[in-house]
Amino acid sequence: MDNSQDYVIEMLHITKEFPGIKANDDITLQLRRGEIHALLGENGAGKSTLMSVLFGLYQPEQGEIRKNGEKVTINDPNDATALGIGMVHQHFKLVEVFTVLDNIILGAETTGALGFLKKAEARKKVEALSEKYGLKVDLDAKVEDITVGMQQRVEILKMLYRDNEILIFDEPTAVLTPQEIDELMATMKEFAREGKSILFISHKLNEIMAVADRVSVLRKGRYIGTVNTADTNKQELSNMMVGRPVQLEVRKTPAQPKEEVLRVEHFCVPSHVHKRNAVNDVSFTVRAGEIVCIAGIDGNGQTELVYGLSGLDKSNGGSVTLCGEDVTHYSIHRRGANMSHIPEDRHKHGLVLDFTLEQNMVLQRFNEPQFQHGGFIDGGAVRAYAEKLIDQYDVRSGQGPITKARSMSGGNQQKAIIAREIDRDKPLIIAVQPTRGLDVGAIEYIHSQLVAERDKGKAILLVSLELDEVMSLSDRILVMYEGEIVGELDPKQTNVQELGLYMAGAKREGKEATA
Amino acid sequence: MNGNEPFLQRESVKSVLASLLSIVIGLAFGALVVLVVGLTSKDLGAGSAWEGIRLIFGGLFSTGRGPTGLLTWGFNGQSIGNMLFRAMPLIMTGLSVAMAYKTGLFNIGAPGQYLMGTLVSLSVALGIPSGSLPKALIWLLAFCGALLAGALWGAIPGMLKAFLNINEVIACIMTNWIAANFVTWMFSVSSFKNVVENTKSSYIYKTTYGLVDGAYVNGAGVATAKMGLDKVFPGSQVNGGILIAVLFAVGVYVMMEKTTFGYQLKACGSNRHAARYAGISDRRNIVLSMAIAGALSAGGAGLYCLSGNTEFFWSTYQSLPAIGFNGIPVALLAVCNPIGVIFTAIFMSMLSISGLQLTNLTAYNEYITDVIIAVIVYLAAFSLVIKMWLGRRKKAGRANANAAPPPKPQPAAADDKKGGGAQ
Repeated sequence: MDNSQDYVIEMLHITKEFPGIKANDDITLQLRRGEIHALLGENGAGKSTLMSVLFGLYQPEQGEIRKNGEKVTINDPNDATALGIGMVHQHFKLVEVFTVLDNIILGAETTGALGFLKKAEARKKVEALSEKYGLKVDLDAKVEDITVGMQQRVEILKMLYRDNEILIFDEPTAVLTPQEIDELMATMKEFAREGKSILFISHKLNEIMAVADRVSVLRKGRYIGTVNTADTNKQELSNMMVGRPVQLEVRKTPAQPKEEVLRVEHFCVPSHVHKRNAVNDVSFTVRAGEIVCIAGIDGNGQTELVYGLSGLDKSNGGSVTLCGEDVTHYSIHRRGANMSHIPEDRHKHGLVLDFTLEQNMVLQRFNEPQFQHGGFIDGGAVRAYAEKLIDQYDVRSGQGPITKARSMSGGNQQKAIIAREIDRDKPLIIAVQPTRGLDVGAIEYIHSQLVAERDKGKAILLVSLELDEVMSLSDRILVMYEGEIVGELDPKQTNVQELGLYMAGAKREGKEATA
Repeated sequence: MNGNEPFLQRESVKSVLASLLSIVIGLAFGALVVLVVGLTSKDLGAGSAWEGIRLIFGGLFSTGRGPTGLLTWGFNGQSIGNMLFRAMPLIMTGLSVAMAYKTGLFNIGAPGQYLMGTLVSLSVALGIPSGSLPKALIWLLAFCGALLAGALWGAIPGMLKAFLNINEVIACIMTNWIAANFVTWMFSVSSFKNVVENTKSSYIYKTTYGLVDGAYVNGAGVATAKMGLDKVFPGSQVNGGILIAVLFAVGVYVMMEKTTFGYQLKACGSNRHAARYAGISDRRNIVLSMAIAGALSAGGAGLYCLSGNTEFFWSTYQSLPAIGFNGIPVALLAVCNPIGVIFTAIFMSMLSISGLQLTNLTAYNEYITDVIIAVIVYLAAFSLVIKMWLGRRKKAGRANANAAPPPKPQPAAADDKKGGGAQ
């Protein structure tokens, strides 16, 4: 059998170097027509670089790309589009103030004789595509007003509108709710049935096992191998990806809750989007030595709840008691005395990206006597402290303490934040989606750290959108729906289905049960 | 680990090289203009063009023309002293822009802050009757008054930014013109106007004039001490103010790089949200940052006006002082490094001295140096591109060098890098 006929796209022996790092080292990737091919690897393994090479954003130092067996040169994304390659980037490339329709046709506009846009024609085509694949979008809404899930559908429609045959999805599920993920998976399978070829970049093993036909694994810029999903399992894949056996389940003993650390009563936080409260009359407690998880679909008030608790947003009702002290009207700084906070958005809140790693490590602590004398920063003490944390928490970076945070991989940025927040050693740790966008190795590590802190007697409030994480990590689950806590569940006595019903608002407990 | 990096690959070295390259290209362009003008003009020729080019590069060391009519060269204390004198306020406005830029703010309000400094320093120096206080104290009051006025004026856009999220560039441009009109109005109703007969234009009294029994007497007022600089650079205007400006530069450097205060300012500038998350008051820091920037600009005005031998044309409502705006190229060329600002300000002043020599000694006019400054400013804005270009060239060079010998084993340090870098 002639192999080259089988493959719609082949990337052969691709090598791409950046200063100080070989992002891709002799990588070969062969995509069959009509298959869903997953590309698996940890953060920094070189997946995105490889895809950027395919999409013409980077030029490889070595190697060649073939389409249908013929060598092609891809100098920029226009070349890629001409070859029928389309990509949904991890961070969407949409014009926020344009409408959905304008975004879809942007760059591929059909025009009439005088250069006027033929929007009606475009609209018909997009509507047809939208109907055919069940990709519901509001064509006249502005992108800034629609949900992340719908933005992704817009990106997919962009590819379809350009009649792309090879679709690249770069970590498409990182931003989606469980329901949206299911829909996306179904759509991807539908595309494959029609003969489109899909490259699916992910490090979520569940999704890969569910949707992909074959998996290619990268590790530290090198090609490890390609396997059929039918012939493998999650454990084998994660071992290939990380290079060592990985503990997929969280290991923990039953919680032994002690004194109350956080008490939230009738707490309300206004919304920035609508006139109602984003958090409405929420009451709960967190005790030392337990992990309490706020579960819910994204956008049900979890973010605002944490903003209210940490002081980033003002509350407009109720009270917060931390370690026996009413902190409802305290500044962020004063609350910080008893609270550390692993923020949801590590780039917005967690790090000053243009600062070095060591500067970021003392973001809250630079004013403490050990790091400054009379207003002058003690550079030696900061360096020593940063080196201690880097060592202890295995934060990897190009230049150690003086690495710019911006140049670090997402996983290591998150590790740096976790190191900083855990080392502050406060009675309450608020962790918001601490493992979002991370690979299994890092997730394993962060979960074990959180459990270890719990066992040391810390109170941990975890906010998570990942059902697996909620089920495996928490000692108690509070489900948030439309700004209210609609149920308290024991992870040992519930299951994902019941949790899903609460999260979707189909089921709720009486108010008194939430206290 | 910084030491392991090749010298030319260091970020700081690349920045300096990029700025030097801008300067060289700017000067070369100026020379080209001189040449073209020289060769195409009836009155000039290749000879004068060559003289012009030499003056552009070495005008600072020109000592005029010898008995044979040839240009003569040597140490020119007057030129160097005047260069330092002109650099004095430029260092301050350059610091103002650089410091604000490091905290994420673009202080285009330096001209307005400079004018407010002018208003207060002149008013205090001329308003306090001579003899009522020691001269040094009057000087100090005038200078500190200028700093304070600039701080307050700078704080206005700072507050608008911090509390109402109004872009500081827009607020600064508006406060600039408010300052221009306000200063004009204040001086127009003041008694500080030195009205010279037979001229319509009027200047404010120099600060060497002091109020003695209701009348201004030259020599009774204040002027910055020369601190011996007049002996080193005879015949020039330079005074101790340049030393004060240099001290300010060092102070700003220490503040930004070594103190917790500077750390907070930079954190707010780089990522306001993260600073807030960490419990740093972002609003307070934005206001403070603009206030300090304003004080620096106004301090420049104070140093300039209090020199004693400077004039100020009070009807300024139609134009903003160029010294304020020139702080922007000074800061950009110095990559916003406070110590670098000292040198770029001196360099800019050198160019204007060269321009003066060009006017004095040849048929060219000094505006040629404005062309040079414009080109340099233009290129300074491109410094990032030049830096990238430098980086790429060096990398290509290294790759070639590595290709020749058999591949060496990677140093162990490379392992550290695997976790980082681009995905």
